[in-house]
Amino acid sequence: MSTIVALSTPPGRGAVAIVRLSGPLSFSIIERLLHNDSNLQPRTASLRKILKNESGELLDQVLITTFPGPRSFTGEDVVEISCHGSPAVIRQLLDLLLSCGARLAGPGEFTLRAVANGRMNLAQAEAVRDLINAQTEAAAKQAARQVNGELSSVLTPLKDRIIEVVVQLESALEFVEDDLPTVKTMALQETLAGVAAGVQRLVSSYKSGRLLSDGAKVAILGSPNVGKSSLFNELVRADRAIVTDKPGTTRDTLTETIDLKGIPLVLTDTAGLRETTDEIESMGIARTQRAMSDADLVLVVLDSAEPIGKAERELLSQTSNLRRLVVNNKWDLVGRSSVGSEGINVSARTGAGLEDLRLAILATLQAGANIDSSLLVTNARHYDVLVRVGAEVDIAIGALGDKLSEELILVPLHNALRLLGEITGETTTENILSEIFATFCIGK
Amino acid sequence: MSFDEVFSVIVIGAGHAGCEAAAASARLGVETALLTMNLDLIGQMSCNPAIGGIAKGHLVREIDALGGVMGRVIDRTGIQFRLLNRSRGPAVQSPRAQADRMRYRNEMRRTLEAVPGLQLRQGKVTEILALDGRVTGVALEDGRSFGARSIVLATGTFLNGLIHTGKRTYSGGRAGEPAALELSQSLKNLGFPVGRLKTGTPPRLDGRTIDWTAFEPQPGDRQPVPFSFATERVDVDQINCYVGYTTPELHDVIRGNIGESPLYSGQIRGIGPRYCPSIEDKVVKFSDKSRHQLFLEPEGHDTNEVYLNGFSTSLPAEMQQDLVRMIPGLEEVSIIRPGYAIEYDFIDPRELGPDLQTRRVAGLFNAGQINGTTGYEEAACQGLIAGINAALSIEKRDPFRLRREESYTGVLIQDLINQGVDEPYRIFTSRAEYRLALRYDNADQRLQKYGRDLGLVGEVDWDRFNARQDRRAKIAAALESTRFRRSDPQYAALANLLNSDLGDSISLSQLAKRSNVTSELVRSLLPFEFKSASQTDLEFCLADSLYEGYLSSYRATMERVYHHDALRIPGETHFGSISGLSNEVVERLEKRRPQTFGDARRIPGLTPAALSTLLVYLSAQQKQASV
Repeated sequence: MSTIVALSTPPGRGAVAIVRLSGPLSFSIIERLLHNDSNLQPRTASLRKILKNESGELLDQVLITTFPGPRSFTGEDVVEISCHGSPAVIRQLLDLLLSCGARLAGPGEFTLRAVANGRMNLAQAEAVRDLINAQTEAAAKQAARQVNGELSSVLTPLKDRIIEVVVQLESALEFVEDDLPTVKTMALQETLAGVAAGVQRLVSSYKSGRLLSDGAKVAILGSPNVGKSSLFNELVRADRAIVTDKPGTTRDTLTETIDLKGIPLVLTDTAGLRETTDEIESMGIARTQRAMSDADLVLVVLDSAEPIGKAERELLSQTSNLRRLVVNNKWDLVGRSSVGSEGINVSARTGAGLEDLRLAILATLQAGANIDSSLLVTNARHYDVLVRVGAEVDIAIGALGDKLSEELILVPLHNALRLLGEITGETTTENILSEIFATFCIGK
Repeated sequence: MSFDEVFSVIVIGAGHAGCEAAAASARLGVETALLTMNLDLIGQMSCNPAIGGIAKGHLVREIDALGGVMGRVIDRTGIQFRLLNRSRGPAVQSPRAQADRMRYRNEMRRTLEAVPGLQLRQGKVTEILALDGRVTGVALEDGRSFGARSIVLATGTFLNGLIHTGKRTYSGGRAGEPAALELSQSLKNLGFPVGRLKTGTPPRLDGRTIDWTAFEPQPGDRQPVPFSFATERVDVDQINCYVGYTTPELHDVIRGNIGESPLYSGQIRGIGPRYCPSIEDKVVKFSDKSRHQLFLEPEGHDTNEVYLNGFSTSLPAEMQQDLVRMIPGLEEVSIIRPGYAIEYDFIDPRELGPDLQTRRVAGLFNAGQINGTTGYEEAACQGLIAGINAALSIEKRDPFRLRREESYTGVLIQDLINQGVDEPYRIFTSRAEYRLALRYDNADQRLQKYGRDLGLVGEVDWDRFNARQDRRAKIAAALESTRFRRSDPQYAALANLLNSDLGDSISLSQLAKRSNVTSELVRSLLPFEFKSASQTDLEFCLADSLYEGYLSSYRATMERVYHHDALRIPGETHFGSISGLSNEVVERLEKRRPQTFGDARRIPGLTPAALSTLLVYLSAQQKQASV
C-alpha cells in the first residue's frame, strides 16, 4: 500500500491549509522532513519548522499532528500538517512530500482507504460514495474536455510517437520468424528525444503557470547605497502587502509578499543582508548564486548617478542568463543611464517610473508563461504524471543506447503509456496489436 | 433416460484441447471418456505441423508444469527444434518445434491409452442432453447415448464447418472429414450465442517435385531445447526446413484473380486471424512489398508431404497449382492437397467463468477454438484447465484458476472471458503485463506446485523439480556471495576485460547483468563446485537476477494502479442492490458475473464512477464480513 498525500482544505489562498498524508510511510516521511526529529506526541499538535531541501532555508512554520493507525481517519498512519495558506507554500510542501516518497492521492482515495480499513460503516460509505461519484464524474468531464481540448491535442501526438516506437520493438520480438525490417535504434532514439522534449515543454509550462497563480519570487540585487531598500519599501508601501511579516524568515534577508495586479510577488531585499564595506564580494559567489537561482526574476539595481564599477559588471554578467530587469534608480538626479539603453528608469524617492517597473515585472513573468500558453499545464496531477512520463522516456532512451534487449526497453515505454493513459485514456494491447498488423505484414 | 454407457466426464473432440482435457480429468481419478469422430486422428495437426513459438512455447511449458501431455508428446516426435529469440532476453525466448505429424498423432494416442480410467470412444455427437440447466449426457448419430455429469466441448473447426475453395463451398470439419451440424444446432437450442470465425490453410506439396536447391536451408538448433521439464534429451532425428519467397509476377496474377477468392467476393463472412493472413490478403494489403517469405516444412520422416507455410489460400483449388508453380524452385511442383478456408461456429467466451464452465448450462465446459481462440497451444491450455475443472466439479472440489500475474494461461482465459473475441484470439507476450516474470524456463517454479497439489504431477517429476529448485538456490546464493573487491587479485584483470570501472566491490550477480558479460565468463568466476553446473540452471539464475530490479519496481507501479484487483466479489452479490450503479452497468455486471474487482475493471464500458462505487461497496462488505 503506497503512502498518499493531498491538500485537504479547499485550494486557493486561505489563512491556514491542511495537507494530509496517509499510509505506511507517513511517519518516516515526516521524520525525514523534520530531519529525524521524532519527538512528536501522537494526536498532539506540535509546532515545527520545515526547511526547504537543499538550501536549508525555512519553508514555513507549521503545526504537525500524527495519528497512528488504526485509530485514524483512514485506519492507516496519518499525518496532518497545518501550514500557512499560501499557494506557493502549499505547492512547495507537496513537492517536498512527493520527493520523499508519497504520491498524490486519487479522487476520494482517503475515504476509500477509510472504508477498506473499517473506519467507516456502510451507511457512512453510502453517504461519501456520492461525493466520490461527483469527483470522478467531474474528473471524467474534465478528461472529456481535455480529449477535445488543449492538453489532449498536445499529448496525443506524443503518445502516438511512443506507440510507434513500441510497435517497432514489440514486432521485433514477437514476430521473429517474420520477414520484418530491422529496428533502427538511432531513429527510435530520435523519436523518443522528440517526445521527451515535448513532455519537458509541458512540464515547464506548469512552472510558468504556477508562477502566475502561486506567486513569483523576485530578488532585488545591487551594490550598497544604490537604493535597493528604498525601492523595496516603495513597492511594499504602494501595493497591498498580503503578509506584513514572515516570522522566522532568515534574519539576513527581508521578505514581503505583495499583490501586484493580482499576482503574488515574494519580494526579497538583499539589502537586508549584513552589509560590509564590499558587499558583493563578501556575499561570496555561492551566496549570490543561491539568491539568484531561487528567484523567478531578479531586479539588478544600479545607481544612475555613479559610473559602472567592477562589482556592477560582475553582477550584470552573472545575471545575464537569468530572467532579469535592470533598474536605473536615482534617475531623477541625472536623467541618463550609466549602462546605455537597457533598464527601467525609476526614482524610488519620487516614485517616478515605478508604474513602468511594475508593468515590466508583469510582462517579464508573463512572457515566460506565454511562450507555451496554448499548452499550459495547471493541474498538479497532470504535472505529476508528465514528470513521470518524462522520466520513463529518458530511461527508454538510455536503454536503447545501452543496447538492452527489446523487452527491457519496452518496460519504461509501457509505463509511460500507462501514465499518459491516466490523462488521455488507456492504450490497450489491442491498440498496439492493431497498429502492428497495420504496419507490418505478419504471418507465415 | 437410460444410457448405453455412463461416465463422470465426457470430452467431445480429440484435438489438442480435448486430449489435454481427457488426460487431466482421468488422471484426477474421475471416470472419463474421450469421444471423437475418428480415433485415427487423435491429436491431428490440422494446420501447420509445428508447436510452440513466442508466447505459445511458454504455454506449452505451463501445460507441462501443471502435468499436461503436449510437451512430452512433441519432445518425442519433434523433427526440428529451435529456441526463438536467442539474441534477446530470457523472458521473450521460447521453444518451437516442427512435428512429425503422423508420429505426433500416434504418440498422443499411445499416451492417452496409457492413462488409467480414460476410455476412448468413436462416435459423432448430435446433441448435448441437459435437464434443469445441467448436463446429463450426449446423444450420438449412431443411436447410442452416453450419460455424464460434466462435459468438455472441444470441437475445433467442426461446429457447422464450411470449407471454401474459390466459389465452391462444402460442409466439413477439416478437409475430408464431416462437420458437426446437429451439435451446433443443439447448442443454439440451449440458448448459447453462436458466432462465426474463419481460418485457412495452405496447399501441401509433394516433396519429390521440389527443387530444394532453390531454397535456403534453415537448420534447427544443434542442441534442441525440449518442451517438457521431464525430457532430458531429444532423441528424434532432426531435419531442415527451407526458406523461399514469392515474386512480383505471382502477386500480379493473384491480384488479377482476386475476385475468385471467397474472402474478396463477400462469400466468407467469418472473421479470420490477422496474424495468419492468406496470400490474397498479403498481396492486397501490403501491395508495396515485392516478396513475401515462405517456409517449406517437411511433415515428417515417413512421408514426402511438405507444408507450404505462408501461402494460406482459399483461391479455387484448380488454380492453386499454377500459382504455386510461379514460386522459384516450385516450377515442377505437384500439390497433394489444396489449401482452403474454413468457417466455423464459436460460442461467445463471455458465457464462461474462469473455470471455463458455461454459466448457462451447469456441468458444460468449453475449450479451444469453440471459445474463439486459434492455435494448438492456446487450445491445449484451455483443455487442461477445462478438464481439471470438469473433474474437480465431480468431486465437489473448489475450481482451479490461474492468475494473469503468474501465467500466460491465466492471461488468455481472463482475456477471453472478460473481453470476448472479435477475431480468432492468439496469445502474444505483449498481452501479459508481467511478461518479464513469465519465462519459459521458470514455468515449473510458477506452476508445478499447483500440478502437484491437484494430483497431476507425479512423484518422479516432483522430486526432480525440487532437486532443480535446490540447485538453482545454491547457484543464486553463490552469485550473490561471490564478490570482487578492488584489493582482490582477479579484480584488475576483470575490470580490464570488461573495460570499465567496477566500483569498490561488486557481486557476481551484479556483474552478470552487464550486457558484455557472458554466461561462460560467469561460470568461470563461480566457486569450483559450480563449474559443472548445468547451463539451464545457470541461465535460470542469471535471468532471475537480470529482471529482479525491473520486476520489483514494476510490481510497485502495478500495486499503485491495480492494487484492488484481487478484491473478491462474492458469488451471491446482487449488483442491482448496490445503489448508485446505473441500470446499464448493473446489466453488464450481471451478465459477466466478475469474480474479482480486477475482472470487473476489465469489463468494457464500466465507467470510473461505477468502478469507484463498486469498490467502496466491496471494501465495506469485506470489512463487515471479517468483523
